[in-house]
Amino acid sequence: MKIRGVFSMSIINRLKTLFKGDNEESDINNDVSNTSDDVQVTSSKKIEVSISKKTTVARDSAHDLTFKKDIEPLEDPVEETVEKVPETVEDASEEIVEEVKAEEIPAETEEVEEEVSVEAEAEEDVEEVEKDSKNKDTERDKMTLLTDKELLTDSNRDPDFTAEFIDAGIETVKHCFQCGTCSGSCPSGRRTPYKVRQIVRKCLLGLKEEVITDDALWMCTTCYTCQERCLRSVKIVEIIKKARNIAAHAGYMAKPHKMTGVFVINTGHAVPINDAAKALRTKIGLPEVPPTTHAYPEALEEVQKLCKITAFDELIGYDEATGGLKE
Amino acid sequence: MEIAYFLGCIMNNRYPGVEKATRKLFEALDIELKDMEGASCCPAPGVFGSFDEETWATIAARNLTIAEDMGADIMTECNGCFGSLFECNHMLKENDEKREKINANLAEIGREFKGTTNVKHFAQILRDDVGFEKLASLIEKPLDLNVAVHYGCHFLKPTEEIGIEDQAENPSILDDLVEITGAKSVDYKDKMMCCGAGGGLRARDLDVTTSFTKEKLDHMTEAGVDAIVNVCPFCHMQFDQGQTEVNERYGTDFALPVFHLAQLFGLAMGLSAEELTFDAQKIDATPAIKKALGENAK
Repeated sequence: MKIRGVFSMSIINRLKTLFKGDNEESDINNDVSNTSDDVQVTSSKKIEVSISKKTTVARDSAHDLTFKKDIEPLEDPVEETVEKVPETVEDASEEIVEEVKAEEIPAETEEVEEEVSVEAEAEEDVEEVEKDSKNKDTERDKMTLLTDKELLTDSNRDPDFTAEFIDAGIETVKHCFQCGTCSGSCPSGRRTPYKVRQIVRKCLLGLKEEVITDDALWMCTTCYTCQERCLRSVKIVEIIKKARNIAAHAGYMAKPHKMTGVFVINTGHAVPINDAAKALRTKIGLPEVPPTTHAYPEALEEVQKLCKITAFDELIGYDEATGGLKE
Repeated sequence: MEIAYFLGCIMNNRYPGVEKATRKLFEALDIELKDMEGASCCPAPGVFGSFDEETWATIAARNLTIAEDMGADIMTECNGCFGSLFECNHMLKENDEKREKINANLAEIGREFKGTTNVKHFAQILRDDVGFEKLASLIEKPLDLNVAVHYGCHFLKPTEEIGIEDQAENPSILDDLVEITGAKSVDYKDKMMCCGAGGGLRARDLDVTTSFTKEKLDHMTEAGVDAIVNVCPFCHMQFDQGQTEVNERYGTDFALPVFHLAQLFGLAMGLSAEELTFDAQKIDATPAIKKALGENAK
């Protein structure tokens, strides 16, 4: 709550600077320095303000700040905040409004006020404070996996999804420190959109929908190169297989995969015998049919019963009447 | 010595020459291969393992109980089967909770997983139980052949579970076994890379799978080999049938014949190309076999 208040204050302070121009710079700096290490207003110029759904305040600082709100909601924010604010700030707040009126942009002024109060009441999930970049290079130098369009909040997360990995005994999902050795080693990543490092991260963050709806999840050949090289001994292939299990149970299954399941239920084999193979076997002196479920119907019945017990037949949509898929 | 011989699907139902060679080889080694009557698919890790772990483990455990009833260790000569059976055996031996759950399923068909069998790979048995010396004594005529060894993925990896003595990223077991036949294992770029078929990828996206295979074939061809040697019928199929798919898609003319290690031993022991069902493979092995047997000089 305190942090929230502090942040609201910094917004007010910076708005104040913007509208008042250069004169208040030193005062504001003092105010801000008491509130947040991250926010350093060193503005020496009047800067444009653009207000959209998210309040964007341009400034000269080299920092690009992204505030993510995962703090308790604020119940009585404005009053409390304002009480703590030095008198100069209250004055300044009034001045903001005055200044804006003087500049005759009433619509935007309303938005400013509304935005500030909304922010203070903690109804906005995300606030972005970013600079008006004079040097585009600094954008590229950002050391973050997130872009502005990909901001994640608690509402994106499904902790139960992460728990499924832990419960399955893959606690090592938590050990990943995102070094990228896995992706750098991955033969599939060289030719497909499959990003194993990213998937591991998403599994840990609980981004269930992103993981299970992505076709790339199925581009792993389970070659284990990533797992062999993982500096943190993360059981990466187990993570991928678990994620696929969850995806499959949510209905994300390719038809050819379901058909492989159909073959096993019908014959006991993913690749059943055919006439050509029977002829070959006979020709070289092997029994025409191998001594597997192909030769023992009662053994096939066991396999079929097991597929019913585990509901694998339902999972893939097996149609007992036709021996194919229901669709 | 007796071993429960797990056939799987692709070898016996597509490349029976591998089975023939294996039976001949073990006959010569005086090791009895006992049939696992009524065994099924391992089941395929790419589909069953990726769709539903419980179903995967239940069907794999059923196969394991067949060997347990026989009182024998299991041998498989397919990396996929080895991966599924070894992993399931390991998991159920280590994890009481999962074992109880799977045994509750197996009880419905009157079976129980007891944890009394071990799962071994064909190549592992040849090196660790038979030994190079005894194998060498079976070779009638050393083969004159340069080969690209393809290890495949579910053989030595994941190392922390499998425990076959070797280095997964720089192994020697297959190269050593190949060289007993007289053939020379030629190193090539990115040798340990996957063939592209596994994890359900071949069924789901053949374009991506063939892209893997083409990269492997490029590197093998650059190394100037006469043939590919593998220890997995699924990799075998990918290099054989998959090679024609690569040629169709990329307009290439790769023509590297594909040998399962058992077929290579079969050839060195005097079995014919027909007995080894090379005539049923997509990529013509005749030139390589002629070279291997020194028939080109005649």
